[in-house]
Amino acid sequence: MEMFLHAAQLALDPWAVGAVGLGTFIGLVFGSIPGLTFTVALALALPITFAMDSIPATGLLLGTYIGGMTGGSVSAILLGIPGTPSAAATVIDGHPMAKRGEASIALGAAVVASVFGGLFSLLVMIVSVNLVSRLAIGFGPAEIFALVVFGLSTICGLCGGSMLKGLLSGVVGLMIMTVGMDQIEGVPRMTFGSISLMQGVSLLVAMIGLFAVPFIIEASSGTGGAADARATRVRAEMPGLRLLMSKGWLMVRCALLGTGIGAIPGTGGAIASFLAYDHARRMSPEKASFGKGNLDGVIAPETANNAVTGGTMIPLLSLGIPGDPATAIVLAGLMIHGISPGPALFMNHATEVYGMYAAIVLAYFWVLGLQLAGIRLFVHVLKIPRELLAAGVLVLCLIGAWSVRNSVFDIYAMGVIGVLAYLLVALRVPITPIILGMVLGPTIENEFRTALMLSGGSSDIFLHSPVALLFLGLAALVIVLQTVGELRLRAYKQKVNA
Amino acid sequence: MKMRTAMGGGIAVLAAAAVLAAGVPQARAEFPEKPVEMTVLFGGTASTIAQVLSETMAGELGEPVVPVSRTGGGGAVGYSHVMATAPDGYSIVWNSNSVNTTAHIGRVPYSYEDFVPIARVSEETPALAVSAEKGWTGLQDMARAVSGSDDHLKVGISGKGSFTHLVSAALFDAMGIADNVTFIAYGDGKAPVELLAGRIDAAIQWPGQFKSYLDSGDLNVLAVTGAKRIDLLPDVPTAQEQGVDIDITMWRGLAAPKGTPAPVVARLAAAAEAATQSEEFRKAAGNIGFMPAYAGPEEFAAVIARDDAFYAGLLDKLGLGK
Repeated sequence: MEMFLHAAQLALDPWAVGAVGLGTFIGLVFGSIPGLTFTVALALALPITFAMDSIPATGLLLGTYIGGMTGGSVSAILLGIPGTPSAAATVIDGHPMAKRGEASIALGAAVVASVFGGLFSLLVMIVSVNLVSRLAIGFGPAEIFALVVFGLSTICGLCGGSMLKGLLSGVVGLMIMTVGMDQIEGVPRMTFGSISLMQGVSLLVAMIGLFAVPFIIEASSGTGGAADARATRVRAEMPGLRLLMSKGWLMVRCALLGTGIGAIPGTGGAIASFLAYDHARRMSPEKASFGKGNLDGVIAPETANNAVTGGTMIPLLSLGIPGDPATAIVLAGLMIHGISPGPALFMNHATEVYGMYAAIVLAYFWVLGLQLAGIRLFVHVLKIPRELLAAGVLVLCLIGAWSVRNSVFDIYAMGVIGVLAYLLVALRVPITPIILGMVLGPTIENEFRTALMLSGGSSDIFLHSPVALLFLGLAALVIVLQTVGELRLRAYKQKVNA
Repeated sequence: MKMRTAMGGGIAVLAAAAVLAAGVPQARAEFPEKPVEMTVLFGGTASTIAQVLSETMAGELGEPVVPVSRTGGGGAVGYSHVMATAPDGYSIVWNSNSVNTTAHIGRVPYSYEDFVPIARVSEETPALAVSAEKGWTGLQDMARAVSGSDDHLKVGISGKGSFTHLVSAALFDAMGIADNVTFIAYGDGKAPVELLAGRIDAAIQWPGQFKSYLDSGDLNVLAVTGAKRIDLLPDVPTAQEQGVDIDITMWRGLAAPKGTPAPVVARLAAAAEAATQSEEFRKAAGNIGFMPAYAGPEEFAAVIARDDAFYAGLLDKLGLGK
């Protein structure tokens, strides 16, 4: 207790509070702006922390991480361009809400859901870090593979009309990720002798291309008739307390899901938000309204992706394993201050750990304050004529694509993928499954191959693990339910037509 | 280039006067007059060390040193980028013995000879860890247990042809148990967890990853693969102390494109040397778990050439050579 008070005192020092606030602000800005990603923000913030004391330094990094995770929803809702891969699921219902003039309600609900998810997962983490990390150790390649297959099965729910088109799009995503250096054999694939292609396609770059380029092309090709209609309906109305309370149970479920997924090394925010979205859709009595602007479709992924922040802290702190590129930078920041995560962390650095807890709570208060104030400003973005907005977005996307890896190749990659995405949109093929395929592709492949190496090539490894069987079974169930549902719908339509 | 010389003429006279007063040879005064870009090939510790190094070097040079991350292709992307830049010292690469290994695996259009060595900056010594439950306390325990059974030892590596793979192969070869080993590739940084869960039997990784697990008693670290013990794990003996003749460490250093003028290289090397002696750099070294190991351009060149021959042989033996 004494240690906790000492840590709280250090974390509530004006410098530390300011550092967390600064980090949160940077994260929110980078997360909100289409094209800029908070992984880049973290990389920029890291050197600043070298000269700082350990608690403000970790506060700055954690603030940036949390701010970025939350900020991703802003452009996802307003423009239909997710600020981070974790916010890709938020686009599906958040953007239609904005089109209906309910942007501020979606944004407000997203912020509240994010803060709830984040604080909930922090609480779970504090109470059960040792227990959960022991469970997470049990997730080997076979189990993670099965979990990712389950994640991939949510494509079924993202297809809109045709399952075939959805699967097609998912496979395109999986295929894009096979380009580059194979991580297991170290062999270049689909590179055609080009050194640039050896680095593969960056997920962040592809995300910018998939969502931003079609927006830019549409807006500048004069199909912006809907824009004026939208502009007149911009309001800054916040979601009511009663509305949010009624979503409490959904938020708890999605927060648990997000924390659990976050705790498993090698997964992360995107898979959690898609699973949460799918869960919300399946449990909802108004399935048909999903994809057309159902608030649950915003709350579920936003709760889950922020719950991942607390979840990823579990393997990060107790096992020293970063779950994604963003937490890898947080890990580097901890190491440089002599805080080496792992099972001995809580013995050697208890003060810093409590300081981190305090910093996370503080970061969420900053998020709540900054975002609730900011939303009233953000919605006015919709008043900007679409063609002007598109020009701005284009510039930001070029900068963003380049800054991910300081590579001109990535600008071309963004362009190529963007034009492909535009064509797919024109053919009414959904593009969200592409991003899901891209997020999960490398994990599914590497874990599958590692699992088979462990078993000496025998597929028994997937069948002898109860956890793996559970997830594979769930995936099968999702596919069967979806197929049966579609067949029934088709039969019904035929009957009506006849 | 010409224009810069002409424009800088007037300033150079003033600068030269100032520098002469400080007792530095005039030739070095011309460099640097703008920020130096340092290409970083990998994330993780490579990138963290690069950031600390660039901050301290910038203080020495009086111009910013900007670490720019160009990862991918096992370093190929970054090496190719730097190789194509002008050899004027403003574009340098934070390199490692990946320049030797990737060249001999044979998928890249360059070798170490396309770069001028500036300075070796740091050294990292891999460590071999096993689960504490195995009850092995030294390499001999392990060798006895393995060679006496039909079971294959599952050894975790970062990927085929990766540095951890090469070190593991060399170590087990020297221990005489190379035929009893199966390599398992998994994601970076997961070694301790895979060991704890018992999915793999042994793993060679950077000691910083194992430190906390050693403190908590979950893992045993049997050996480090260099000729000297390391500060982070002072109680862990070297392989040589246990009668296994192996000495492999990973160096990191700075290099510039071939043709970079010698005075510029000397100026950069001096800045790197001063940086490695700074308090800040030494503190980071202790925390992250690497050794500052400055070596000037000539000594560094010898190290690279020696390593190149060594890795060519090792990769050939493993059937990974070109």
